[in-house]
Amino acid sequence: MRKYFEFARVQMQVHAAYSAWFWANTLSVLLRMLVIYFFWSAVYSNRANIEGLPFKGMITYIIIAMFLQMFVSGVGKELAHTIKDGNVAIELMRPYHLITRLIAMDMGDKVIYFIRGALPLGILAYFFLDVTFPQTWLSGILFLLSALLGIWIGTFFDLLIAILAFWTINLWGLEVMKEAVVSFFSGALVPLILFPEWFQTVSLFLPFQAMVYVPVAIYTGILTGTDVWMALGSQFIWACLLFVSLRVLWSVAIKKVTIFGG
Amino acid sequence: MINVQNLSKHYKIAKRDPGLRGAIKSLLYRKYEIKEAVKGIDFQIEAGEMVGYIGANGAGKSTTIKMLTGILTPTSGEVKVNGIIPYENRQKNASHIGAVFGQRTQLFWDIPVRESYELLKHIYEIPQKQYEETLAEFVEVLHLEPLLGIPVRQLSLGQKMRCELAAAFLHRPKVVYLDEPTIGLDVAVKVRIRNFIKQMNARYGTTVILTTHDMQDIEEICQRIIIIDDGTVIYDGSIDRIKSQFGDKRVIHFELENASHFTLPGRLVHDAEILPKEEEDPHKVSITFSSKDITGAEVISIIMNHYPVVDLTIADPKIETIVEEIYGKGMKKEVRHEEVF
Repeated sequence: MRKYFEFARVQMQVHAAYSAWFWANTLSVLLRMLVIYFFWSAVYSNRANIEGLPFKGMITYIIIAMFLQMFVSGVGKELAHTIKDGNVAIELMRPYHLITRLIAMDMGDKVIYFIRGALPLGILAYFFLDVTFPQTWLSGILFLLSALLGIWIGTFFDLLIAILAFWTINLWGLEVMKEAVVSFFSGALVPLILFPEWFQTVSLFLPFQAMVYVPVAIYTGILTGTDVWMALGSQFIWACLLFVSLRVLWSVAIKKVTIFGG
Repeated sequence: MINVQNLSKHYKIAKRDPGLRGAIKSLLYRKYEIKEAVKGIDFQIEAGEMVGYIGANGAGKSTTIKMLTGILTPTSGEVKVNGIIPYENRQKNASHIGAVFGQRTQLFWDIPVRESYELLKHIYEIPQKQYEETLAEFVEVLHLEPLLGIPVRQLSLGQKMRCELAAAFLHRPKVVYLDEPTIGLDVAVKVRIRNFIKQMNARYGTTVILTTHDMQDIEEICQRIIIIDDGTVIYDGSIDRIKSQFGDKRVIHFELENASHFTLPGRLVHDAEILPKEEEDPHKVSITFSSKDITGAEVISIIMNHYPVVDLTIADPKIETIVEEIYGKGMKKEVRHEEVF
């Protein structure tokens, strides 16, 4: 266990080495937040609510979802890259589980991102952009639980796609498509309640809404009562399902591995 | 320590027609071709041995090493390293082995060398005291002190390779695989690296498997060589034996005023041969013979009597020339070699 913790720690350290890049990233998130704010102010200028959601609720949803979306993508890119350039050979010769190692590093990334990005920007959003806290303590706590499950699902889904690099070698197209599908179906762009009925039904059976929509809907009170528990239950099932399929796919993949480049 | 029996590995390679059309066609259906990279090889390596594992490019060296390290699963046959079947128990095998791949880095790119070692300490669960001792020793032998604070990506090739080598031996592995550890390095660094490897072997009894194209490495480090060609072992034995069996081989390169119509003079026809030319040069001719049949001095004097010789060089009976001949073009033509195997 200790070694994986060390990986997370080193990853945090690496971030310290690239701080210019980090601040550029934070700045771009800040700009996106402002654009979103003014866009939705304009949309709401003639009406009090959309699909039962007032302006404050909407802006809270959109901004929290934006933060959360940054946590749900994982280290799939790194894994795919390692496979493609053949360095997976060296990784496989080490006494650790590569996937666990990548997840540990990802956790390091996310901790740093939380401390240096999401937290200060969240506070900023609270004071200047009408973002509100959850209405009850319970929904706050359930949000945290649901967000962790969502991050778990996102991370595992990302790695699952990346393992396909063992077969396809190049993964760029698939990654791009995955990004598009995730931001659309996960509710990271707008709450799923704005979409037509049939779309909502379809996405109910997909893992994507469990990544962003469910936790943020709990936060903003779009989901209440028994719906919350149902949603958490389905998140939990997805989390287990993805965990198992990742393990299976990984063991299949490394059995038939061909290391590229000699 | 290492036990390989009738080991084979076949790859399935997707064949693709050239160009965009081929790429689209390959999306619909693919033709596969079976490539037999390793065809049933056997060898045993004892603990503490230093073995050169050599062969031409694509002979199956890397594939064997990858099966020994557990990265690849063999198609058939048995492989055991330190009593463990590597591909079934990869992580356990991994904690007893070390490796250097000259073409790849195994240090962590973005962090200073010292931090990389710290991380390795945790990965291999090296006791703190042992870690400190080993590192101090390596720092001295490989002169790592000035490099420890530098991120790996900023190191030069020679510096990086010294650091890699230390990383491979840091957890005192039982077996170390070295794949081209001296590729692209200058002589001084090569010497230091060779000394380091020998020292590790003497002190910790580390078993070393070395694959390289640098015959100097082999001659300095290994007592035994295994030569692989086209997926099969064609020689397994001591360097001395191969040298004494082929050691009577001599090659003399002549530079003549005009060699375009060169034929062997009558007295040499039975005892010597013309080597195929490596480069198209109308002035050069290489002649090979066995010192048992005829002396070098005789060959030179006969040639000089028949042709105007501008210059000549006598090649050493080095392991390099011998090996080149065994797995080079000479192999198929020369029947005489067969008695060796």
